[in-house]
Order: sequence, then structure tokens, then C-alpha cells
Amino acid sequence: MKNQLKVLRAMRSWSQADLGEHLDVSRQAVNAIETGKYDPSLPLAFKISRLFALPIEEIFDDEFEGD
Amino acid sequence: MTNLKETSMIDRDELAGSNGRGMMWVIVSGLGIVMTAGAVAGYLAAHETQGGGAIGTAGIVTLCVCAAIIIGLAYAIWRNVSKMKASTEGLTRREKLNRNIVWGCGLAGGAIGLLLALYDTSDGNSDTGALPIFSDNPVPPVIALMLAIFLGVIMPIIAWFWHKRAIDEQEASAYRDGGYYAAYAFMIGAPMWWILWRGGFVPEPDGVAIFMLFASLWTAVWFWKKYR
Repeated sequence: MKNQLKVLRAMRSWSQADLGEHLDVSRQAVNAIETGKYDPSLPLAFKISRLFALPIEEIFDDEFEGD
Repeated sequence: MTNLKETSMIDRDELAGSNGRGMMWVIVSGLGIVMTAGAVAGYLAAHETQGGGAIGTAGIVTLCVCAAIIIGLAYAIWRNVSKMKASTEGLTRREKLNRNIVWGCGLAGGAIGLLLALYDTSDGNSDTGALPIFSDNPVPPVIALMLAIFLGVIMPIIAWFWHKRAIDEQEASAYRDGGYYAAYAFMIGAPMWWILWRGGFVPEPDGVAIFMLFASLWTAVWFWKKYR
């Protein structure tokens, strides 16, 4: 799933490991989410949303185009 | 103005990616060194059994090529480990705990192999080709009991702790996927081997081989899903 994680992280000058520490996950997990290879669980998505103070849909894009 | 700290951190993360390729090269290079060293040892042993003496030009060239391969592979390991070290300066708390548990399990596996090799009570004629840890040779009951308690009681506690505290959800997902692939391979492969054996096509099913294939597939899928 496409997301803004890398941009949001860069805006705070955080490395992947820094973000991993904030989210209590590994650097690999942050890398996998950023590159769209792994979709986070709902609890982790909410954690990310709270950390960046943004709604989930502004961070993650499921590319759904509703009517 | 570009923030230098930000750029270097982002570049380092970009460079590292998932570290999977680096780890794969380290593993492949390590195996290559072991196999090349084995070939050299085999060559020298064969030379010795044929009377020894001075090694001919062809032999010297072969040994030089093997030495060059080993040096090249060692350099590849050093390069990849250096890259990975640069990218993993900031390991998270979970990653450190995970790494320590994996190292601990590796050391425990080595200790088990050593114990089995030291306390192998066979007369030296049976099952000599197998690695001590996969051998069917008898071991003293006390050692067998100790290892069974380790595997049946201590290991589940470590595994439970590893799953609950050390790994994150991405690794848990990779581990589950590995389990699915391995379970399907077992559920399909083991009866297939068994029925082919009954038909006289293949040798009798081997429990250790099945276990090794199951564990290898699980590990390979876990590695692919975690580090791809």
C-alpha cells in the first residue's frame, strides 16, 4: 500500500530506526511499510496515525476510487 | 538549506534497504568458503593417499585458484558486513533483543551438537556419515534426558518470549507465511514420498530428511518475506 511514511519521517529528521523505536518495531518493518512490501495491522496504523497526528487515510492510500 | 543529518540518515536507510541482499551475500559467501576449503582439504587428502610428494603445476594452479576464491569471498563478506553495520547503527530495542536471542539459540545449537558428538557411544561403525546432531547413534540416557528437557521445556519458553517480546508484527507475519508454505509442503510432500516408496519408486521416507526440508523451507520463506 502506498503511504507517506518516508516523507513524514524525513520531515522530522528521523532515521528508519528512530521511527522503529517510536513505533516499537524493527527498522526492517519500517522499511517494508515504506516500500509498500508490508501493510501494517490496524493497531500499528493507528499508532502511526497518532504519532504523526494525522488521519490514517492521509498517511496510507489504498488507491480505492469510490463513487 | 538541506539538513546534513537528515540527508545522511535518509541516504543510509536508502542504501541499506532491507539488508536482505547483504545478508544473502554473506550467507552464500560463507557457504562458498566452506565448500572451497572442503575441496582443498579433499584434494590434499587424495594427494596424500596417492603417495604424497611434490604437488604438480596443475595442482598448484588449482590450489591458487581456490585460495583466490576464498580471499574473494572473504572480501565480499567483509564488504557486506561493513555496509550492514553502517545501516544498523541504530538498532531498536526489539531488534537488539531479537538478535541476542537468535545468537543465544545458535550457541545452544552448537553446544547440543558438541554434546552429541562428545557423548556418541557408537562403536564407530554405524551411521558414521551423518552429522552428530542428525545421527541415529545411541547417546547416554542422562544426556538424552537433558537435551529432551531443553528441547521440550526450555525451548518453548524461549520461543514464547521471542514471539511476545522480541519480534514485531512484520516478522511475525513473515514467520507465519513460512509456516504455511512449510506445512503445505509437509502435508503434500510426506504422503507423496510415502506412496512413491510403496510403489517402489523411491527409497523409504526418512524422518530427518523430511524435518530438514520442512525447517529449511520455513526458514527460506521467513527470510524472503522479512528481508525482501
